[in-house]
Amino acid sequence: MKIHTYEKLWLVAAMVLIVGFIATITYGSVALGITMVGDQEDTIEPGELGEDERFDDPRVEQVGENEYEAYVIAQTFIFQPDPIEVPENSEVTFYVTARDVIHSFSVVGTNTNTMAIPGEISTMTVEFDEPDEYGIVCNEYCGSGHHNMEGELHVLPEDEFDLTELSVEADDEVALEDDDEVTLEIAVENGQLEDLETTIEAEIGDETVTEDVTVEGDSTYETTISVDAADLGEGDHDWSVTVDDYEESGTVTVVDQLEDETEDDGGDDDE
Amino acid sequence: MSNTFVDAFPKQARLIRQAFLTSFVALGVGALFGLIQALHRTDIFRPIESTTYYTVLTGHGVFLVISFTIFFLVGVYQWAVTESLEREPVDMRFTWGWYGLMVLGTLLAAFAILAGFTDAIDVSADVLFTFYAPLQGHPLFYIGLVVFVVGTWLAGADWFRTWWAWKGDNPGKRIPLPTFMVLTTMIMWYISSIGVAVAILAFILPWSIGLVESINPTLTRTLFWYFGHPVVYFWLLPAYLLWYILLPKLSGGRLFSDPLARVVFILFILLSTPVGIHHQYLDPGIAEGFKFIAMTNTMFLLLPSLLTAFTVVASMEHGARQRGGEGYFGWLKSLPWREPAFTGMALAGLVFAFGGFTGIVNAGMNINYLVHNSLWVPGHIHTQVGTAVALTFMAGSYWLVPQLTGNRLVGRSVALFQVLLWFVGIIFMTNSMYRGGLIGMPRRTAEPQYDGFDFEVAAGSVGELNAQLALGGVLLFLSTMLFLALMLLTLFNHDSEPIDERSIPRPLSGPEDSPPVLDNLKLWVAIAAVLVVLAYSIPLASIVSRGGLFGPDVSPFPVFIESIGDARFVLESILAGITR
Ligand code: HEM
Ligand SMILES: [Cu+2]
Ligand SMILES: [Cu+2]
Repeated sequence: MKIHTYEKLWLVAAMVLIVGFIATITYGSVALGITMVGDQEDTIEPGELGEDERFDDPRVEQVGENEYEAYVIAQTFIFQPDPIEVPENSEVTFYVTARDVIHSFSVVGTNTNTMAIPGEISTMTVEFDEPDEYGIVCNEYCGSGHHNMEGELHVLPEDEFDLTELSVEADDEVALEDDDEVTLEIAVENGQLEDLETTIEAEIGDETVTEDVTVEGDSTYETTISVDAADLGEGDHDWSVTVDDYEESGTVTVVDQLEDETEDDGGDDDE
Repeated sequence: MSNTFVDAFPKQARLIRQAFLTSFVALGVGALFGLIQALHRTDIFRPIESTTYYTVLTGHGVFLVISFTIFFLVGVYQWAVTESLEREPVDMRFTWGWYGLMVLGTLLAAFAILAGFTDAIDVSADVLFTFYAPLQGHPLFYIGLVVFVVGTWLAGADWFRTWWAWKGDNPGKRIPLPTFMVLTTMIMWYISSIGVAVAILAFILPWSIGLVESINPTLTRTLFWYFGHPVVYFWLLPAYLLWYILLPKLSGGRLFSDPLARVVFILFILLSTPVGIHHQYLDPGIAEGFKFIAMTNTMFLLLPSLLTAFTVVASMEHGARQRGGEGYFGWLKSLPWREPAFTGMALAGLVFAFGGFTGIVNAGMNINYLVHNSLWVPGHIHTQVGTAVALTFMAGSYWLVPQLTGNRLVGRSVALFQVLLWFVGIIFMTNSMYRGGLIGMPRRTAEPQYDGFDFEVAAGSVGELNAQLALGGVLLFLSTMLFLALMLLTLFNHDSEPIDERSIPRPLSGPEDSPPVLDNLKLWVAIAAVLVVLAYSIPLASIVSRGGLFGPDVSPFPVFIESIGDARFVLESILAGITR
């Protein structure tokens, strides 16, 4: 076969170029440790995400000193949780799956980008150094509302970040005649691994009760605060419970006598 | 001049005219849809509901990259085979038969898509041209696609048949280069389109009709991309054929090297299929190793395109020197820049070279994470199939259509303006798309304006990007309409004669310089098959073992409008710099 000298030169240059590209990318993935979405995770039934302990409650979880895991569901046309909150200086592993059709989980302007395929779980580990706010979009067409599918990722300063959850159960109505008490059942969940030192402050009508507590890492502290209904007197009384920046509130009615005995269907007001 | 193609082969010219006509109708509709998208996305003009955007986008994709490109392909290939073998098809009825099947398939799919515009008919297929399950379109959409593909298979069979007949009469002769290109393209097409055929016939169609309950989304998606990368070469190779066969002649010279052209087409048979997983770098459920293999193969697939760049430029230089050009770069001035067919193809080649670099970015696994499914991707699409291919086809038509009609091209200088207008339009539109992609704007999105955040543009603003996209879109649309008008006028320009005659000059270095093994098609098919099996058997087996043949229990998601209710800164600034 007759090949012109220039052709030969070009051929060699082309091969060098190609091998160069492959080498660069190999270096990028092996030496720099830029990893890709792969088949690390087992498959999952997309119809049964509610029964999977990772995805029944999409959330961020702390797993190590500065290590977090985020379980994210993409579905038409939302992301859960939204916003996703993580602290600065953290390493977050995202586990992303889809409930219905193929979506994507793409943090705008970054290379944190993966397909979310029903039945599969994508994982990506990302480091967040500085506080910032990112948009999340779905960039895989998923139906007529695709353009509405967005979420947010907040990287918070360390002192603003926590994994605290406050929930309160309270009665709606309490009767004077039974010598009843108005009770607030308070649960403070600390999802972080460190202990949480905080104060629970409860107000019912004019009464204020405070309690300093230490909630151990990865556990829930429960307490009950009660006030005699008689002290409050007949009428509507607002109550509120605050723990750090979290507040729960509601209203309890003190009556003379309950109309019928449909007591305690739980005037719950938990989050 | 009376030695035109239509004089020599009037019956074949008629079929080719028909194929071009179909192709151009698709181009017209597709361009209108493109214009709507360009104005809608940028929120400049929104005559349709955003939910209808996806009906438009499905039409744009299907009509342009399935109908426009492939109908043009069969026209050009019919011309190439007839011209280079100097021979008619064995049975013209068969030839009309495959054309008819392709038309039928197109009509079925088009009906399913366009019915999405009205609530009066309970049919729609807003699934885009990639139709990823569990999105579900009307079965007619899938049936249409299958019928269309079967039509192209029969077209290939027809060309092989013509070649076998020719071989009987010309024992021991080398396959003429244009026919060689046609046959190798079709081999590549047979190997690759099996993927989409299996995806539709074995999984998606039975599921859309309700015969099977569920589907494995990763499996059908992988089968789609098994076909989805080679299909881009199916669009590209007819453009390559025109660059190798027609462009040297238009430049005033002859092809530099016949052997190298053959090598290039063989490389496409071998390498274009075992790379499809590079579209799935971000897919869970596929091991990194397979992605790595696809990446390596993809990089080698650059080789035939780099070789083509060499041959095309060398042939142009030869032509220019024949026309009296001199100097290192001075010869460029001696090229026939006033000839729209030449200038259009040269500009298409230029855009293709630029787009090739953006393709390398896509192919780099880890860089891909930045741009995957962002607007960058339609940027790449429009430089490659949307210009390298589409502009070459339009420019080629300025030479071919006079050959097929026996009429002189109407408005040669308007045609020159038309190709330049396209060039300018595509620079605006794709510049905006590439840059928009780098800042994370998603593709395939009716309203890329979000409540929760703003896109951060390093240089420029979102408003500027939108203006460029819309302006580019308008220019491209006008250019398309000009082209179609000139074609129509030429068709009726009866009392005239083409300027050029049909003969194609012999290459400088002819087939006698190449080893006969290049023409051993069976050998290349065998090697290609081995490569495909190596690249795909394990990934497919693993996908099936993970998700099951028919997948987990995902319920179908019919895309009926009613039923749903309703390294970045551097690149970015470089691109911004280029356009300022
Ligand atoms: C009149 C000129 C054209 C205009 C104004 C135009 C405009 C557009 C726009 C704005 C998009 C992006 C839509 C989105 O992602 O939301 C798009 C997508 C696309 N265009 Fe064009 N286009 C034109 C011509 C072409 C041509 C000639 C081809 C190919 C031969 C083509 C092939 C495609 C493809 C394949 C897509 C992607 C479709 C998808 O994501 O499903 N376009 N076009
Ligand atoms: Cu989406
Ligand atoms: Cu590809």
